[in-house]
Amino acid sequence: MGLVMAEPVLSFQSVQHRHAIPAPSLFKPWAKRAGPGIVGLSLDLYEGSVLGLIGPNGAGKTTLLRMMAGVLPVQEGSIEGRFDGQGWQPVDDLRQWVGHMPEQVRWQGRTTVYEALSQLGEMRGTSETKIQRLLALVGLRSRKDEALDNLSQGMRQRLSIAAALLGSPKVLLLDEPFNGLDPVAAEAFAALVRTLASKGVSVVISSHMVAQLEGLIDRIGLLHRGQLLDEGPLEDVERRLGLEGRYIITGKGEADALSFAPAEDVLEHHQDDDGWTLTVKQDPQSVLSAAMMAEANLTSWAPVRPNLVEWLCAATGMSVDDISLEVASSAMLPMRSVEVSEDE
Amino acid sequence: MSDLKRIMKVAARIRKERLSGIRLKIMLPILLLFLPGMAWGFSDPNIVLPGGHQPDTAMEVLFYASLGVVFGATMCAVLMAFDGVSKDRASGMLEVRLAQPMPRQHQATALILGHAQSILVPVYALLLASVLVVQVRTGQWPTLTELLVYALSTGLVVFWYTLFALLASTSAREQGTAIAFGIGVWFFFTFLWALVTTMVAYASGVAVGEANDPAWVALEGMLDLLSPNGVYHHLLETQLPTVDRGVHAWQSWLAALLWTVLPWWALHRRMERLVP
Repeated sequence: MGLVMAEPVLSFQSVQHRHAIPAPSLFKPWAKRAGPGIVGLSLDLYEGSVLGLIGPNGAGKTTLLRMMAGVLPVQEGSIEGRFDGQGWQPVDDLRQWVGHMPEQVRWQGRTTVYEALSQLGEMRGTSETKIQRLLALVGLRSRKDEALDNLSQGMRQRLSIAAALLGSPKVLLLDEPFNGLDPVAAEAFAALVRTLASKGVSVVISSHMVAQLEGLIDRIGLLHRGQLLDEGPLEDVERRLGLEGRYIITGKGEADALSFAPAEDVLEHHQDDDGWTLTVKQDPQSVLSAAMMAEANLTSWAPVRPNLVEWLCAATGMSVDDISLEVASSAMLPMRSVEVSEDE
Repeated sequence: MSDLKRIMKVAARIRKERLSGIRLKIMLPILLLFLPGMAWGFSDPNIVLPGGHQPDTAMEVLFYASLGVVFGATMCAVLMAFDGVSKDRASGMLEVRLAQPMPRQHQATALILGHAQSILVPVYALLLASVLVVQVRTGQWPTLTELLVYALSTGLVVFWYTLFALLASTSAREQGTAIAFGIGVWFFFTFLWALVTTMVAYASGVAVGEANDPAWVALEGMLDLLSPNGVYHHLLETQLPTVDRGVHAWQSWLAALLWTVLPWWALHRRMERLVP
């Protein structure tokens, strides 16, 4: 996707939403306290850009998207928008400007696709013409009279995105949109996202699978334990975290691949009966030269992106083991120490 | 589109969905049995009620037939609305709806009106049938005032149970809890309220069940203001000059107003804070 550095359209400044969790005591059996959520998060969304919001399960991706969609209240912080070509204005109701596609909506029943969309359109005052256009945009025009029960998972996802687009939003939030999609449906979905971005819509996609976002996003946000660890254009974040310039080099037969690069640059090495694989974090030229000097049988070399755990390790400074444990134990406490207010 | 028009459109969609659903088809025989069926039974010219009483007027017959409303229509209201919110929450649709720029207060109003209308349409149709049955059997029509009070109070009691069920539905994380709460409230006010009245009377030193004891009648009358079914009967009794349980008409109407406003307010408040 071509990188277009457009202007920011929506800006979140130190926003917070922490879920209320039960904290019963003898005299306050129904008392609640602030639990996990999003803490002090600042983020700008750019016109026509696709932001990949990545983080492990429990990082706060869904909470953040719900907050950005106006479904959950912003308890602290401020939101400003620049939607109508004028200056920055405080945004009172995000729902006017933001389209939200939640993770896994179970469209079901005998209601038809068209009726389901019309019902939601009533809540926004969307015209019938607009609904017809949306159905065409998401490729459901020929299925508009189909009962919801008869839709495939891919079609349901398309219907969800059509519902999110009902108000011609300037910002589109997609929560784990690739879940349950086969590769063909996922590619069609990605193409649709690219089309929307090319029309100036700012798209935010959450995922815990970085590979799924490859080639689709131009910005990345790393979310962990309710905090945005880093955010920006993909290459910039990679550079800041020292994750740029990674290559995977493969060859046939046996070779002393570890000798092709200094030990500190070797990220991963694998050798089996079929051949060898070497992942390095440096310009592959010297590695390739060394391999050819050693008369190794090279088959391929290609740049490779870090995976989610590597992103998080680099951003937090934690080890793989620590990160894994953190992910497993979920994000019940924010990383920074914050005041916990009672009875929220 | 104006806010009111939008609310009415969303409410109409809910009403249409519910009226065409299989649940109403299952409940229709129950409603038939309890509304015109009761009217048929109590309008029998040879009927003798406990205590040797015989209903004299059409309004008296309708008053006794209102037992069918308390037992049947209110239960159907609960069954119609118990999943009004919890079903959408389970399917993920609630999040989609809450993300629409329609204020939550308006969404709550549409939800209440849609569900109330979906049960009131068959109930009012069958109430009309009941009045016709009474006329055919006794040759009497209720007066216009009696008819209005009967229709309004029946609408109100059905509306209250709709509110209770929806309120439960907003709190319940799964359908089972919602239906248990709704049916539990219905069961409490329909069957267990007599036990509460008895216990309070016993604790107050009033002889229990003595229909001729003014202390018992007054206590029962006052306690009935705390029950939606009791208030319903108080409202109907405003049209029965022979009945006096020590509760003024204004008290009954005030109680009716509170039973309407408080759950309505609670439901709107819940919707404001609702998390998908």
